[in-house]
Amino acid sequence: LFSELLVKSVFVSFPLDLQRQILRCLTLMLRLSPPFGLLMCIGEIVVNEVNFVRKCIAVDSSREDLWGKLICTNFKVSFITHDTLQLQKFQYTNRLLGEHDIPLACVEQVVTVNDAKGKQKVLGSNQKLKFNPTELIIYCKDFRIVRFRFDEAGPESAKKVCLAVAHYSHPADPQLLFGFEFAWKRHHSARLNGVDIEGGPQVPLFDRPSDWDREIKRTGASEWRVCSINEGYAISPSLPEYFVVPVSLADQDLKQYSGFFAGQRLPLWCWNHPNGSALVRMASIKDPVQQRKLDQRICTAITKSHPKRSDVLKSDLDKSLPNIQDIQTAFVRLRQICVIEPFEESEERWLSSMEGSRWLEYVRAFLKHAAEVVYMLEGQHASVILQEDEDRDLSCVISSLVLIMLDPHYRSLVGFQGLVQREWVMAGHRFLDRCNHLKKNDKEESPLFLLLLDCVWQLLNQYPTAFEFTETYLTVLSDSMWIPIFSTFLFNCPRQRAEHCREFVQSKNSVREFNMLRFPCVWDWDQQFSRKDQALFNSPLYVGKGTSCIHNGTVKTFRRTKKTYSSTLRGLPSLPNGMLMEVETLPRRNSLAQRLRPDFSVAREAPESPSERFFREWLTRPADPHGLLLPQLLPSHLRLWKLYFLRWVPETQIPRGGPITAFHRLSLLADEIEALQAQLRRCGSASTSTSTVSTPNISHSESSRMYFKARSPDDLSSPPEYLTSSFPFSPVGNLCRRNILGTPFSKFLSGAKIWLSTETLASETL
Amino acid sequence: MAEIESCFVFNASTKQSIFLCFQASNESLKMELLADVPLLPGEERVIDKDIIYICPFNGPVKGRVFITNYRLFFRSVDVDPAVTLNVPLGVISRVEKMGGASSRGENSYGLDITCKDMRNLRFALKQEGHSRRDIFDILFRYAFPLSHGLQLFAFLSQEKYQENGWTVYNPVQEFRRQGLPNDQWRITFLNNNYELCDTYPTILVVPYSASDEDLRKVATFRSRGRIPVLSWIHPENQAVITRCSQPLVGMSGKRNRDDERYLDIIRATNKMTSKLTIFDARPNVNAVANKATGGGYEGEDAYQNAELVFLDIHNIHVMRESLKKLKDIVYPNVEESHWLSSLESTHWLEHIKLVLSGAIQVADKISTGSSVVVHCSDGWDRTAQLTSLAMLMLDSYYRTFRGFQVLLEKEWISFGHKFASRIGHGDKNHADADRSPIFLQFIDCVWQMTKQFPTAFEFNERLLVAVLDHLYSCRFGTFLYNCESARDANEVKMKTVSLWSFINSDRASYINPFYTVEFVHVLYPVASMRHLELWVSYYIRWNPRIRQQQHSPMEQRYKELLALKEQYLRKLEELQLSDSTSHLSNSTAPSPSTPSQRVTHLQTPF
Repeated sequence: LFSELLVKSVFVSFPLDLQRQILRCLTLMLRLSPPFGLLMCIGEIVVNEVNFVRKCIAVDSSREDLWGKLICTNFKVSFITHDTLQLQKFQYTNRLLGEHDIPLACVEQVVTVNDAKGKQKVLGSNQKLKFNPTELIIYCKDFRIVRFRFDEAGPESAKKVCLAVAHYSHPADPQLLFGFEFAWKRHHSARLNGVDIEGGPQVPLFDRPSDWDREIKRTGASEWRVCSINEGYAISPSLPEYFVVPVSLADQDLKQYSGFFAGQRLPLWCWNHPNGSALVRMASIKDPVQQRKLDQRICTAITKSHPKRSDVLKSDLDKSLPNIQDIQTAFVRLRQICVIEPFEESEERWLSSMEGSRWLEYVRAFLKHAAEVVYMLEGQHASVILQEDEDRDLSCVISSLVLIMLDPHYRSLVGFQGLVQREWVMAGHRFLDRCNHLKKNDKEESPLFLLLLDCVWQLLNQYPTAFEFTETYLTVLSDSMWIPIFSTFLFNCPRQRAEHCREFVQSKNSVREFNMLRFPCVWDWDQQFSRKDQALFNSPLYVGKGTSCIHNGTVKTFRRTKKTYSSTLRGLPSLPNGMLMEVETLPRRNSLAQRLRPDFSVAREAPESPSERFFREWLTRPADPHGLLLPQLLPSHLRLWKLYFLRWVPETQIPRGGPITAFHRLSLLADEIEALQAQLRRCGSASTSTSTVSTPNISHSESSRMYFKARSPDDLSSPPEYLTSSFPFSPVGNLCRRNILGTPFSKFLSGAKIWLSTETLASETL
Repeated sequence: MAEIESCFVFNASTKQSIFLCFQASNESLKMELLADVPLLPGEERVIDKDIIYICPFNGPVKGRVFITNYRLFFRSVDVDPAVTLNVPLGVISRVEKMGGASSRGENSYGLDITCKDMRNLRFALKQEGHSRRDIFDILFRYAFPLSHGLQLFAFLSQEKYQENGWTVYNPVQEFRRQGLPNDQWRITFLNNNYELCDTYPTILVVPYSASDEDLRKVATFRSRGRIPVLSWIHPENQAVITRCSQPLVGMSGKRNRDDERYLDIIRATNKMTSKLTIFDARPNVNAVANKATGGGYEGEDAYQNAELVFLDIHNIHVMRESLKKLKDIVYPNVEESHWLSSLESTHWLEHIKLVLSGAIQVADKISTGSSVVVHCSDGWDRTAQLTSLAMLMLDSYYRTFRGFQVLLEKEWISFGHKFASRIGHGDKNHADADRSPIFLQFIDCVWQMTKQFPTAFEFNERLLVAVLDHLYSCRFGTFLYNCESARDANEVKMKTVSLWSFINSDRASYINPFYTVEFVHVLYPVASMRHLELWVSYYIRWNPRIRQQQHSPMEQRYKELLALKEQYLRKLEELQLSDSTSHLSNSTAPSPSTPSQRVTHLQTPF
């Protein structure tokens, strides 16, 4: 009886949604039927192809290799095979990509090799190749290394495909990025079919004043207002059209001030603490003459917006954090030791190599700096200005982290996505340059967004119950940077997006439609994954605010009491309002804990700083997953994000092990609980309406957020065979290191930006 | 709890035990309250004194120290929250006087205490009238009772538990579980009076076709008579793990036909084994060097049907130094500027890796149907690590709560890992060259496995920490003495309480909620530096800059969710009940189902 009802209710409740989903998918792509077997997106065209290609799977033997066709399109490198991979079971599929596909934007470097002649060449755009390649190696931005062999393939076609891959992965102009063609064609086909492509997710994009208003209301920032002087990007090229400023600053003042800031970037409000202090980010003031005056004006305004007129502290990010080149260098080194260097040889020096990369050191520095800012806002009740020269890189990371630590809203999926949208996309983080989508300027490339994701992962790892999303979500989000159809990661700022859209549409001679070029945004996850696969984003450990009160007596939840302001604090003769305090006393990184002598020191060398005490006292209290979160900053407590960095490395895969197995168990239980909740709701509504017919309520299968579902009550089944520590990713076929002519690859590489240095090129010409 | 152990969080199991004793002990047992801390039955106050505890994290803390025949207890005065220390005296490895009567500076006169569990304590006293003399003498006496003709606390304790932990391990029963004896292997009582080998247990399993006489002859050629005997047999392919000590080859390269024949008999018990694999845990050079002292390894010529593999695991001295270096970088403060390279330079994880990968090789041989012999020099340190870890990988029984206890009792305690010498229970000679953290290293390896397979073990991290805490505490008899014969001679089972009595009476605290029963498959951890982690919740647990938690947040959450589920089930049951009564009154549906039936019915939609 019950199962029947269930089926019925599913049927009743789904059609609309299902229909929309299916239609949306249809408008996205058409799957050409075999023998072709190529998954094609709208607007995608085949450039070149070659048959009888072997995809290498193992380093030492060709037994597992796959035979098929290698195709280069204007979107991706595709390998079509009818062989099935023995060792590999893909547990999740991207709707935009086939099993073996690599988006061109994900290609980091293209290397062609001719074994017989002992030659190799790194291919760029519009280059010539003097030899027939026997092998193509593609180094990917997401750490994969994929290798194809052309022993049986036509030499000319092989060469053509290699050149095409190299050429199309180096677009000369942003408008050559596949997203434009995709968005354009999608728009047209959608109009033909009468489908609404605007559906999208419920994530505020902060491209309209109402999104900001809601955020002002939510945080109780009554002394702040939405400012629209930048409509049409009239004032600053890199600021969003709408942003939030102190009420006391009039539009006229702002217009006048804007000229003095780098990039005309006026200060941007980020967030208000319940105690009234605000977080603001700001670019540097170019004119030294104006600096003092302007600084003071801004600070006065911020102070006026504080209900207790608290001080404003300024945190200079450029001075206390590594710069973008440092971060890129660390990232390249880390990639080197994670996927390039031979596994066994690097074991012995693994830890010191990790240290040498400095990646974790930087992760720690950012977390620590964010924690210091948290202390100023929470512990000192002071407003904080994050100052960075351009306010487009480091401050994105820091403001995001501060908000995630302070406000549980940003630890929910919607909250986090809105945060990225606001502090990164709208604030004008240069995704186009930092991702180096055009592969033009290597100096501008820097994985700042990945750095944020790693920092968030550290928090997630330390406080797994505090986040609604999983590390799989963070990984997939990072991978989405390399699928160039999402507006989120394609542009340097909202204005650039608008301009390119207009130009592109103009180039298509369709002036009146320039508004219609809409890129999907990454938050519309239906574009990439089925609902079932999206369930992998949901953490079974997360319980929203409402649920914690249901716990029985054994479950204690610690709740942070709302701060009350002591009258003494108000009465104290503090610094005059508007006076700017340079927080030069901020401890530099590595100095959070004052070092003690290794033996017992009778007294500490330096007295504990107030922020240290704040951190220590916080740590002694039980952590409230829905309250303030501070990272544990001892280097021993920061870890390498293995799922992200080591997922393709076959040697590190733990078959039927890894954190995912515990996740599986938790999912089963959480799923049961959700089913029970649904039943309770049904029962409740049934008994109140005294109707015997169960109304089509929210049914279990629809509401279930869990990827792994309980098949029976008390399902204690063991984890599925296919689970590994890399799940849902698989290293098989995705990491094929090789030794070139008996020389380990690593020998050619020494932390340089490119994977193969120019010396290699020189030796090739010999 | 009114107070928070802000500085030194004394281990939760101790607290728990005190509480339990309350319940378990008879009314007749007098309970004395010591500064609000109930004493264990049999525990007696010796001295108390005003003192200053020099906390390495927060500076000097005034308070009062209480010393009993079991513990050192400190509680601060006028600090809120109170700082407490609760240190079993067994944990102390060294007590020294610090400063002299004429020392300058504040708090420069007092005591330095070095502990075996990765911490040090320092106390300061007033510089007047030899104020520290009595406390120093008492501490020295009671921390090292064996050096002063006193008894270890385990023999004084009057604790009573419902369960008798001494019955956890019964060798005959355990061998029967493995399907022994069978047509190839027999149980021998030859060592009943410890005549064959005084560091082996009385009950041994040997090849059926080897006579007692053969065994005696082999014993002459194996260091300390520790002959190859069976540890574990694969239930399907009948491949066996056997353990022993090194052969007495010596400089002249002696051979022994009986030993050679005996190993071939072991090989022949399994038809699939064409070559018996001998795993010598040592580095090759060490094995060669051992020839000088009469030891050595199995030569290729002598043992034709065997292959010898060296596993490169270093000796007890190397491990001791490694742990010492580790302590230097984690206590009192974590080395901040070059953490990873400092950690690397201790080589602690590298040693863990070698032990684990050795055990993986053993397990792999066995699961492919080939029998193995494992030995090191004496066969009680590295050998115990390898065999027990391999058994943990091969046999899911040892991953259960009970099975793990059996594994420790069997491979470590009964087979003569020299706990007394390695730990130095009650012995003042802190610098003794026999000390070594071999067992700690093994527990660390187990922890690494539990991290890689979070659902494969029935027990949790707390059990591992509790085992290590009581490895030192001297409260239970389990880890006392070097071997079974010494334990018999001192009537340990009669006069002391087993650790398992204590653990098993609080089972729920040590259960891993994620445990999923699985019988068949072999667990192969990945012994790579990429995965091995420092066990921070053990080695860095005294640091106040890390969050102290009794359970991992994941475990905690799982238990909360279980409670939530129960609650929903109950609510649902109530709703159904009221629903059915209303239905009955309306007489619309004839539903005579009882509540319990309703509940089972309800669960069908899953």
